[in-house]
Amino acid sequence: MKWVRRAAIIFLLAVALACVFAERLAPADYAHQFRDIPDAPASAAHWLGTDDLGRDRFSRVLHGTRISLLLAPAAALIASFLAAVVGGTAGFVGGALERAVMSGTDLFLSLPWFFLLITVRALMPLNVSPITSVIITFALLGCLGWAAAARVVCADARSLKNSDFALQARASGSSGYRLLRHHLLPNLRPVLYAQFWISIPVFILTEANLGILGLGVSEPLPSWGSLLRELEGYSSVTSNAWQFAPLLLFISVVSCFHLVVLDRELPA
Amino acid sequence: MDTTDLLLKLRLSAGYPGKPGVLQHLALDINPGEIVGLVGQSGCGKSTLALAILKLLYLKGASAEGYVHFNGRDLMVLKEREMRKLRGKEIGLVLQSPISSLNPALKIGTQLKEAWKVHARGTRDERQQAIAEAMRNVSLPEEKDFLKRRPSQLSVGQAQRVLIAMAILHRPLLLIADEPTSALDLITQSEILKLFVSLNRNLGMSILYISHDLLSLATISQRVAVMDRGTIVECRATEEIFRTPSHPYTRQLVRALPVAPQTVAAAARAAL
Amino acid sequence: MSKRWFASLFVMVLTLGSATAQSGTELRFCLWSEPKTFNPLLVQDDSSETVRYLTGGVLVRLNRQTQQLEPELATAWKTSRDGRTITFALRQNVKFSDGTAFSAEDVAHTIQQMMDPNLHSPTGDSFRSGEGKVETKVLWADKIAILFPAPIAGLDKLFDQVAIMSAKSPKKERAVLGPYYVAEYKAGSHLNLERNPNYWKHDSSGHQLPYIDSVRLDIQQNRDIEILRLLRGEIHLVNSLNAEYFDKVIAEKPALVHDAGPSMDSEQIWFNQVASAPLPAYKKAWFGSTNFRRAISESINREDLSRVVFRGHARPATGPVSPGNQFWFNTRLQPHPFDQKAAMKRLEQDGFRVQNGALRDKDGNAVEFSVVTNAGNRYRERMATMIQQDLAGIGIKLHVVTLDFPSLIERIARTFNYEACLLGAVNIGLDPSEQMNIWLSSAENHQWNPGQKAPETAWEAEIDRLMRAQASELNEKKRKEYFDRVQEIAWEQEPFIYLVNRNALSAISTSVQNAHPVVLRPQVFWNIDRLSLGSEVAQK
Ligand SMILES: Nc1ncnc2c1ncn2[C@@H]1O[C@H](COP(=O)(O)OP(=O)(O)OP(=O)(O)O)[C@@H](O)[C@H]1O
Ligand SMILES: [Mg+2]
Repeated sequence: MKWVRRAAIIFLLAVALACVFAERLAPADYAHQFRDIPDAPASAAHWLGTDDLGRDRFSRVLHGTRISLLLAPAAALIASFLAAVVGGTAGFVGGALERAVMSGTDLFLSLPWFFLLITVRALMPLNVSPITSVIITFALLGCLGWAAAARVVCADARSLKNSDFALQARASGSSGYRLLRHHLLPNLRPVLYAQFWISIPVFILTEANLGILGLGVSEPLPSWGSLLRELEGYSSVTSNAWQFAPLLLFISVVSCFHLVVLDRELPA
Repeated sequence: MDTTDLLLKLRLSAGYPGKPGVLQHLALDINPGEIVGLVGQSGCGKSTLALAILKLLYLKGASAEGYVHFNGRDLMVLKEREMRKLRGKEIGLVLQSPISSLNPALKIGTQLKEAWKVHARGTRDERQQAIAEAMRNVSLPEEKDFLKRRPSQLSVGQAQRVLIAMAILHRPLLLIADEPTSALDLITQSEILKLFVSLNRNLGMSILYISHDLLSLATISQRVAVMDRGTIVECRATEEIFRTPSHPYTRQLVRALPVAPQTVAAAARAAL
Repeated sequence: MSKRWFASLFVMVLTLGSATAQSGTELRFCLWSEPKTFNPLLVQDDSSETVRYLTGGVLVRLNRQTQQLEPELATAWKTSRDGRTITFALRQNVKFSDGTAFSAEDVAHTIQQMMDPNLHSPTGDSFRSGEGKVETKVLWADKIAILFPAPIAGLDKLFDQVAIMSAKSPKKERAVLGPYYVAEYKAGSHLNLERNPNYWKHDSSGHQLPYIDSVRLDIQQNRDIEILRLLRGEIHLVNSLNAEYFDKVIAEKPALVHDAGPSMDSEQIWFNQVASAPLPAYKKAWFGSTNFRRAISESINREDLSRVVFRGHARPATGPVSPGNQFWFNTRLQPHPFDQKAAMKRLEQDGFRVQNGALRDKDGNAVEFSVVTNAGNRYRERMATMIQQDLAGIGIKLHVVTLDFPSLIERIARTFNYEACLLGAVNIGLDPSEQMNIWLSSAENHQWNPGQKAPETAWEAEIDRLMRAQASELNEKKRKEYFDRVQEIAWEQEPFIYLVNRNALSAISTSVQNAHPVVLRPQVFWNIDRLSLGSEVAQK
């Protein structure tokens, strides 16, 4: 298993590097439309062919990967942070507050939050640059994606709070804050790590779903969502195998993430 | 006895939500520099008393009433803020189960540091000195490598000592040790017992030593308090308890000992 | 080996089964949704409209190919000078599908039903010209006059939509006068239409129509499956295809597809010109400027849009009337050419200039705006993205914003919090009166600035006048003159920047004979009663 994990890490690193140097590596501007050759197959000039508007697919994959791989972890960070604060506080304080916060969280979970996302997105100002809009989209994902993680964190915080070492810390004169910050948080870290890593592929997928609805990253900026959207529909799928490149990359990256994360969670 | 000289004088009743009357008008006093042994059957309320003295019962949902005169103040009327200042600084507590009382995620050095920072403000050097001294006092290695270990890398005896080191870090006037030897083998047990005696002698610390093991308790305590069903039924000098146990429960305890009470009394005197 | 044998046996059983099940010829195609009603007066959705077209008998029918009215149940008709009365002479010896005789009573009954305010007939809505009752006068058994309270332009053509119902038949709307009647309906699955044994129409050799014995309509929401079934020969036709499906079919069976040329549908972009819109004043000034709108229009490469987005199955659009509308299209007009130099000249007239690659107005504001369109429509998204690149050519930064439909409507119809919008228009009818609700400045669908109390610009006032004039004019030639002028003003002012007209694409099995797909709905089976089936569907 060790070498598999190593290969996964190397692959992710390679992808990350390719994204960092996207500008340099991309043979063309990701937005430029070669209008004479839409839907072209792979060629020396366009390694993965062109999309329906004649844009170089390879360049779009590079830039799209960069967007998704950069912003999904950022969103995961926001979500994990919120989960830590909300779940941690609720579990730690306990009692009525915990019950209130957790039923709030349940309510939040039961919300049709995909529609919520769409609604919030619709309320956004219209004249924002594509890059701002994609950042806002992912930030929204982060702000909406904390609830499930918060439940886990809350349960953990509750059992930690009732642990002997928490009592011992109290007996040593620790205040609630000190206890939370210096004793409970370090113990919550593994859960938060796991939640963080799990959220990343989830957010990538959610953005892809939004993209498939046409509500993802705004044109002309590419993201995995908009790249995967090319596969939508019957006629397009059969015609051009190069369209599968983003899907392949997406699956590889997500499974590599899982490989790396899964190994992390196993005890050393 | 003159109350003004006493370090601790208390009278407490306490109960859990589902179990009232765990402590019933329990009265106990401790002189400065004295080791008092508290003995009682499992479940009679010893740990409850320990928490009640520190006013930590609320964490378990329980409540207590009565008074706890400690060093000239009644702790029962103190605010939580003041209690916080007192816990760990004036009264140290060593909990019953050593391994689970240490934070599994933190290096023991970090935990000691944390315990120190709660009450002291000072330079790194001062802190390290205080920690080194506490480690010396509990006969643990004071080098960095040891401090870098996590609780899972310690033996139970070592963990117990670390806990004691944390408890004595600020030289409290009173150290409450809840069954500190119950999980240990005989040799380690006797080492820990010696440790308490030396702490008491060298630092002048009063110790409330809680145990259900009358024998080990007898070797170090000047006085023994016998607890039964939530109250102290007898509290006298160790020798007297063994020579002339008056309460039926005490008699039962003494009779259950594998060795003759006289031997124990003699051994106790020898140890002290 | 054995597997293949089993498969061929299976196919044999299947073909045997279907061969015994049907004795006559059967035409098969798909409905995209459940028909909502079988009452011809309540038809609103496409599926119900298909059923109405196949089963309903009408007084006059618009020939979808020649776009001329032809006699059906009425042999002759006449509109009075004042445009309020129409008189029909009816065909004699016609019977409903259940054998009930057809007479002027039935026409009167249908009209009265249709105009009954309690029924809320959408078909009736186009006849509601003014306050007051519609009167029907049965003059003889075969002659009827219908009197309207106010004149209606293009009155006779409206009767193309009115399927006559029986006044006496116990089967009510189930008794029909069209080529077929509904024999079986299985909700969620299919409809079976059988030929109307009493259908009055005969071909020139005296053979009773229709030629095809039955029509099976499968309810199939999934377009992919529909296309698969077409390619497998399980259905005979697909009435309307998009460009991708068209290319898909052409790759496998090129003989099946038909491109009938530009349809009535158009795609357009417009700027928000609502005075109270929450936009900065300088943007309102841009959007209100004819030069600005014309410049944007000339900066858009419509040929590229047609070629790339619609794979060549669209035509640059000229204006509100598609060239597919043979009579009403103003042939003097051409689509706006792609000419960014000319566009720059117009912009310079308004004080715009390019600075460091960015277009700025006379006050130095960078020209940057957003265009909203509905999410999920790939064509519109692609068009917007291409326009984005086109406009970058004159230094304009365009933001493409896709919104879910409710949010889009909220913005363009209620809060007016948008700058430009890209949407399509579907024109069912040919007559300019059908566009009244768009062009009148007081109309709610006057999208760039709806519901004006009084026309806010001179050209809108002029359009109002011309639209009203054509509506009350009965002379077709004069009406055409008025409406030509409307098209010219629209071309000059460009409140709507028309982009493309999609072509009407369809597919039809080669076994269907006498098929002439056209741009008007129903594109393929408009002449259903004259279609016939040659050899069975299969053709490899
Ligand atoms: N959190 C709690 N809630 C309810 N009852 C409790 C709780 N903790 C302890 N008790 C009950 O209170 C009584 C006293 O418990 P305590 O832990 O003080 O006994 P102990 O003397 O320390 O026993 P041991 O020698 O086994 O440690 C017991 O009967 C126990 O069942
Ligand atoms: Mg106990």
